[in-house]
Amino acid sequence: MSSPKEMTRAVIVGHKSILKETIDALHDSNLFHIEDFVEDESGFKIDKPFENAADVSKKLVKIRSISSFLGVDKKEPVIQKSDAVLQDLDSKLDELDRSISAKTAAIAKLETDLKDLESQKKDLLPFMSINLDFDYYRGYKNLKVFAGSIKSNLDESQFSSLTQTYELFYDPQAKTIALFVTNTEADKIYEFLQGLGFRELRVPNRGGVPSELLKVIEEKEIEINGKIESLKAEIDSMNTKYADFILASDEILSIESQKAEMPLRIATSANTFIIDGWAPSESYDSLVNTLNDATGGRAYISKLEIKEEEKEKVPVEYNNSKTVVPMQEIMDLYSRPKYTELDPSAIIFITLPLMYGLILGDMGYALILGSLALLIKKAIKAEAAQRLANILLYCQISTAIFGLIYGEFLGFPLAGFHGEPGLIPGWETRTLFSGLGGEEVTFPIHRSHMIMTMIAATVIVGLFHLALGFILGFININKQHGFKHALLEKGSWLIIEVSAIVAIIGYLIQNSIITNIGLIALVIGVLMLTKGEGIQGPIELPALMGNALSYARIIAVGLSSIYIAGTVNDIAFNMMWEDHSQIGLVAIAAILVFLLGHGLNSLLSIIAPGLHALRLQYVEFFGKFYEGGGKKYNPFGYIRKYTEE
Amino acid sequence: MVGEELIAGPVLDAAGMKALSAALAITVTGLASAWAEKEIGTAAIGAMAENEGLFGKGLILTVIPETIVIFGLVVALLINQ
Repeated sequence: MSSPKEMTRAVIVGHKSILKETIDALHDSNLFHIEDFVEDESGFKIDKPFENAADVSKKLVKIRSISSFLGVDKKEPVIQKSDAVLQDLDSKLDELDRSISAKTAAIAKLETDLKDLESQKKDLLPFMSINLDFDYYRGYKNLKVFAGSIKSNLDESQFSSLTQTYELFYDPQAKTIALFVTNTEADKIYEFLQGLGFRELRVPNRGGVPSELLKVIEEKEIEINGKIESLKAEIDSMNTKYADFILASDEILSIESQKAEMPLRIATSANTFIIDGWAPSESYDSLVNTLNDATGGRAYISKLEIKEEEKEKVPVEYNNSKTVVPMQEIMDLYSRPKYTELDPSAIIFITLPLMYGLILGDMGYALILGSLALLIKKAIKAEAAQRLANILLYCQISTAIFGLIYGEFLGFPLAGFHGEPGLIPGWETRTLFSGLGGEEVTFPIHRSHMIMTMIAATVIVGLFHLALGFILGFININKQHGFKHALLEKGSWLIIEVSAIVAIIGYLIQNSIITNIGLIALVIGVLMLTKGEGIQGPIELPALMGNALSYARIIAVGLSSIYIAGTVNDIAFNMMWEDHSQIGLVAIAAILVFLLGHGLNSLLSIIAPGLHALRLQYVEFFGKFYEGGGKKYNPFGYIRKYTEE
Repeated sequence: MVGEELIAGPVLDAAGMKALSAALAITVTGLASAWAEKEIGTAAIGAMAENEGLFGKGLILTVIPETIVIFGLVVALLINQ
């Protein structure tokens, strides 16, 4: 359990002549969270960005558009000296820009050519089977040429009754005709053709036989496609060649742009500047030293006291050990803690995997999902993926432990029970004592045989979890508003919860003294609550019962997972033993059912227990103490990946 | 008469009634949860479209009615005791 990192408020004041040095030093230290200055009546104004700002952002836009065009991916960094990159940045950027635009222009031209060829090809196709040189279609004085398509079939005998002087080329499949007749008979023939649904086709405006022309066009198309491919390959090779340069210069330009635009965030007068912000208290001294070194002691930095009402806006940085860090993702998903409250990451580190394990509790799935988590850790190096994989891994460790306690492996019992053998020979279930509703509590715990007892047990787990929440709430309010408030607002809930349990126990063992003590304490608790939170407090009392019962989901969701696994096993094994004659084929199908079924259930085993375990933290647990809404500590600086000074 | 044999027959004996009531407890609460979650989920997705940071809060609000069906399950199990 920890609080967020302690912060110190600091103000840096100096003459404008050292503004650049100050900004450089602050940026390099990557420690100072700057409060943006909002112009007010004080007479201070925000400053103009540095002169190079426009130039830097222009280059940045260019490099980013090139990067997205080339599809440069983030990859294993090759660290380069930033001076070296900066030196030939301009020339290299120009060179890149020019060769890329030349190549894209060439590709665009080739693609237009390709489209052109495509439309030429389309014009050719109807004339393919007639295969007459296009020059023969035109240039006659006394002949009329009908070239086109018809709808119904052409009967040549019917046609020859109209005229004797004609030359007909007819393709019955494509229903294309080329008909040469004398001018005098043209009208008559045209009428006849109209009856057949004649539609004129455009004869390509060039000489040559269609089949040869087509061959030429196709050859050209292949050639152009080849050119496009090679240009694209060249662009791809530019990606590999320039990726390092692009990543490095993107980084350098981002840094430069951050620095150049910094004056927009601070207060300045004609000759001075004031930078207001926060630094972690532990690094304050080193920040002062860096500043003094960079400006020769001419920048004046001083601590300010944090006023009570300012505590809400203090930026929050987590302060957790490396093991707990992944849990910060879970916190951020809900809301970052406020500066004044406890950071429950370390508690979530225990309770989230605990609830998850209680729900899933199966050795087999723990092994499958644990390996999956390790695989993700190995394959994806991104920080977010690493953290999620770690959370999954923590949950699987707990699942494995509960898998042992429940004695389950992919839905099979590990220990023998009621004469049925388990997976581990020689491990027999032992009855420990009797539970609720005539059930027996055994080791290992067979959840599906002691549902009532498990419901009670999970609700008790919930009561502990809720009590922990009230205690944390007590600590929070004690820190923020003092002991009295803490006692009335959170202590009262704790008293109510404990006294209600005492009263119930007294009732169950029929000891009226214990019951009465519990009831009296309960009344006191309710009175304290009413004083602490007003009438709202008692109204929310039934919610406590609802919250506690909500933990019954631990067994409910767990059972659903067992039943799915059990059903898959039943189907697969029935198929196996059913038909001995065709064992080969059926066995393969059975194995397939087994693998797919458990694959599906593994996937569900991330989602269902994960969401429910998370919900128990977020709704039931956090509801008791946590507010959240802290501002993220975002220091002015940059974590370099591809360059160094 | 249709149904007479149901009342007289073995379908609606005490055990059958119990099983039916347990089924009802689950069904109705399941539907209720689904209905409530549908309303909240739709709104949550709408809010997330505006601001992706609301995913955590949306998730929490969406799963709150889940408790209804858990209660249904507990009641169903109690009926079958």
